Amino acid sequence: MTEHKLMDPAGARDLYLPEMAEIVAVKDLTDQEKLYEIVLPEGRELGHKPGQFVAVSMFGAGEAPFSVSSSPTRLGSFELGVRKVGMLTEMMHRLVPGEKVGIRGPFGNGFDMEALRGKDLLIIAGGIGLVPMRSLINYAIDRRDDFGRLIICYGSHSDAELLFNDERKLWDQDPRIEHHVTVDVGSDEWTGNTGVITTLIPRLELDLSRTVACVCGPPVMYRYVQLALRSKGLPEKEIFMSLERRMKCGVGKCGHCQINNTFVCTEGPVYNGLELKSLQEAL
Amino acid sequence: MALKPRIGIFDFTGCEGCELNHLNFEDQLLDILEHVEIVEWREAMDGRADELDIAFVEGSLSTPDCIERIHEIRRKSKVLVAVGACAVLGGINAMKNIRPIEEVREEVYGKDKYLFPTLPALPLSAVVEVDHSIRGCPMTQLEFLKVFTSLVMGKQPVQEDYAVCVECKLKENECVVEKGMICLGPVTRAGCDAHCPTFGQMCIGCRGLVTDPRLEAMEEILVAQGLSMDEARKKLQMFNANQLEGVTS
Amino acid sequence: MTAMMLDNDRVVDFVTHLQENKPVYAPHAKGRSSFVFDQVEKPDDVVLDYPRTLHSIKKFFLPPQDDLLDFNLVENSFTEPELKPFDAVFLGVHSYDLHAVMRLDYVYSQGNPERNYLARRQGAVFVGVSFTPDKHHFSGSVGIGTNDTTGFDVFLHIVDDGYAVEALTEAGTDLLQGFDMPVYEGALPASAHFEQHIYVPQGKLLDVFDHGYHSVVWSDEAAHCTGCGTCNLICPTCSCFNVEDHVDVTVTHGTRTRSWDSCMLRGFGEVAGGEVFRENLADRQRHRVYRKFKYISDETGEPWCVGCGRCTMNCTAGISIVNIVNRLVNEYDKSRAAV
Repeated sequence: MTEHKLMDPAGARDLYLPEMAEIVAVKDLTDQEKLYEIVLPEGRELGHKPGQFVAVSMFGAGEAPFSVSSSPTRLGSFELGVRKVGMLTEMMHRLVPGEKVGIRGPFGNGFDMEALRGKDLLIIAGGIGLVPMRSLINYAIDRRDDFGRLIICYGSHSDAELLFNDERKLWDQDPRIEHHVTVDVGSDEWTGNTGVITTLIPRLELDLSRTVACVCGPPVMYRYVQLALRSKGLPEKEIFMSLERRMKCGVGKCGHCQINNTFVCTEGPVYNGLELKSLQEAL
Repeated sequence: MALKPRIGIFDFTGCEGCELNHLNFEDQLLDILEHVEIVEWREAMDGRADELDIAFVEGSLSTPDCIERIHEIRRKSKVLVAVGACAVLGGINAMKNIRPIEEVREEVYGKDKYLFPTLPALPLSAVVEVDHSIRGCPMTQLEFLKVFTSLVMGKQPVQEDYAVCVECKLKENECVVEKGMICLGPVTRAGCDAHCPTFGQMCIGCRGLVTDPRLEAMEEILVAQGLSMDEARKKLQMFNANQLEGVTS
Repeated sequence: MTAMMLDNDRVVDFVTHLQENKPVYAPHAKGRSSFVFDQVEKPDDVVLDYPRTLHSIKKFFLPPQDDLLDFNLVENSFTEPELKPFDAVFLGVHSYDLHAVMRLDYVYSQGNPERNYLARRQGAVFVGVSFTPDKHHFSGSVGIGTNDTTGFDVFLHIVDDGYAVEALTEAGTDLLQGFDMPVYEGALPASAHFEQHIYVPQGKLLDVFDHGYHSVVWSDEAAHCTGCGTCNLICPTCSCFNVEDHVDVTVTHGTRTRSWDSCMLRGFGEVAGGEVFRENLADRQRHRVYRKFKYISDETGEPWCVGCGRCTMNCTAGISIVNIVNRLVNEYDKSRAAV
């Protein structure tokens, strides 16, 4: 039996103490989602990768994880998209510029941007899944020559719930971005695609030798998106999915996000299809 | 804080023990009154209010008159909080629901029963929308303060949804089952800080059942301890008759 | 190093001696038939011959309720509560409980080392005592004998009329300074016999769990389980926690507190939107047991279960981890035989 070495606490960090960061702008995305622009003390950079997340503290309400929505290529601040779903987010929605929230992080592996270099990026975002994927999309836009094609498939429940409409208009106008949108249920004014997000996939022309898919959306979406991509011939290891789990610590200690033998907060939230296959509790 | 929330305290069918517990907040009463203005409370003051920010309501609904009054309270209150096992679950009053109502009426009121209309004992939520619940028989000050501070802060109070065993284990109590006692802790909602087992008493389930309670497993344990299946059911029904019948969730 | 002889009638003097330099924590009787680790006030109250305590000594380094920060709602600010080393002598610790602490040392040292745990963990001196296995102990099956001295500074081996005292570290030798004992003449006892066993050759245990994921054992056992969480909450190697903010009645101050949590609870695996990713108790039972025998064990090569028997003896439904593992071992052996 091995005797594990007890580490000297001098080498350990304070894992649970947030930094008080200032909200500098708040924007309504829909009536349920707001976008917060946040600046760390002394204007320090968050230093995140697309796909990473932070823990936001509201004293009295607690802490919750939020994916960073802005790209690290855009300096000076970072952005979080927050949907009003519970006690903490309801309180967050009352915040106005000038107020402060606690921030810990960035946490998680994020997307391996080095591995994605030179690839055709197929971004598949369902609903609020566009919030984290926007970080990756804007990263690719800002370093456009580092990547091949940039194909964005975005699905939403209804046209009223579509996010980042202004930005997406710019994507539509950019000849180097292929931007496809569908809604499950369209209003009378909706003239675009109708149907679940997987209906966008069969019509894509992909160069399988250089395409990588990055997927984020509600849990139910992953299985079907994977099936659709597999039937296009895309190998499992080229499909990256960002999982969502409730977590309390973000540093691999509290156990809440553990699925089988992996901690989503430290080894995830981004996994490829091959890795997910061995994680039976993942999807 | 701008204006203090105006609160009212109301009672229906019950022993008024929960209300008495409000009056027992000796140490915190001044702090509480810092934050709110009590405008209606039959047990402690005169007068009635037309509009309330928060209504704390104790007792179960067991007469036609109750139904009328709870609707009125709901109409005039922005937030309605059910207080105590009777208001949240129907309480032990609901034990009568498993028997024919006329039989119960006769047993209680005898030949004068026609003077006393009665209904099955219902939790408030069976009749009006309830925003928050403070469970227990009686409600504990601990939980009242938790809900109270949440409401003052403008946040949703969190309800424990795990077994009393969790709090009991955190306190390093000797398990009362180990001492040969019956205990409903494994399926009863926590939030009481395992008050009864901490004092060596069994948990009788006054806070209601957890979500997705494992009743068959619980009954199996009770039967293994020597109860008949019928006795096991009755133990669970003491506070949870309505929940077991699907009246409340 | 030679062992010394501590006669039964000098145990109280020995405890008094230990108290001279540091506070001493030791087992005390509680309730009808239970024991708890507590600070020694009266040396007379210390019980060295006990089956197991309700909580292990984990509670001192990872308290059941642990304030991570104090916050001020008016100023929107916080302070960190002081983290003090648990500078004490832990007397009467059983081998499996110290093995459990060493596993927690690993958990809180690897990956992101956690200062809260590591700071409290400094300065502790451990005086072990051997034990007589009851019908629930099975630490022998996971390689931890009754007289296993790993990690201890001093160890008390139960012998006729008292204890054979072994000083194992410099800190241990220091602790015994000034308390004269005669040399113990006999041989140190080997591990006592266990009634309860996991029937698997050492080293093969991890293989068993490679094959047990889809076993019918999980749903069989879950059928009797109430999902109360007790098995996790009294486990000496469970370290999952929940974090909640508590606001005081003045609504100006509060604390962010972590408390022990259990993966057997429904809410533990809940994600945003209310979905529970281990909805069935069978899945939760498997997760609990896999955390003890596979997931982290694949990384470190040793079972995370230390065989204390607490989960089994505290389960009101009578679910036995030994029984679960033995059923998996049986299934594994059968599948091997069929090949």
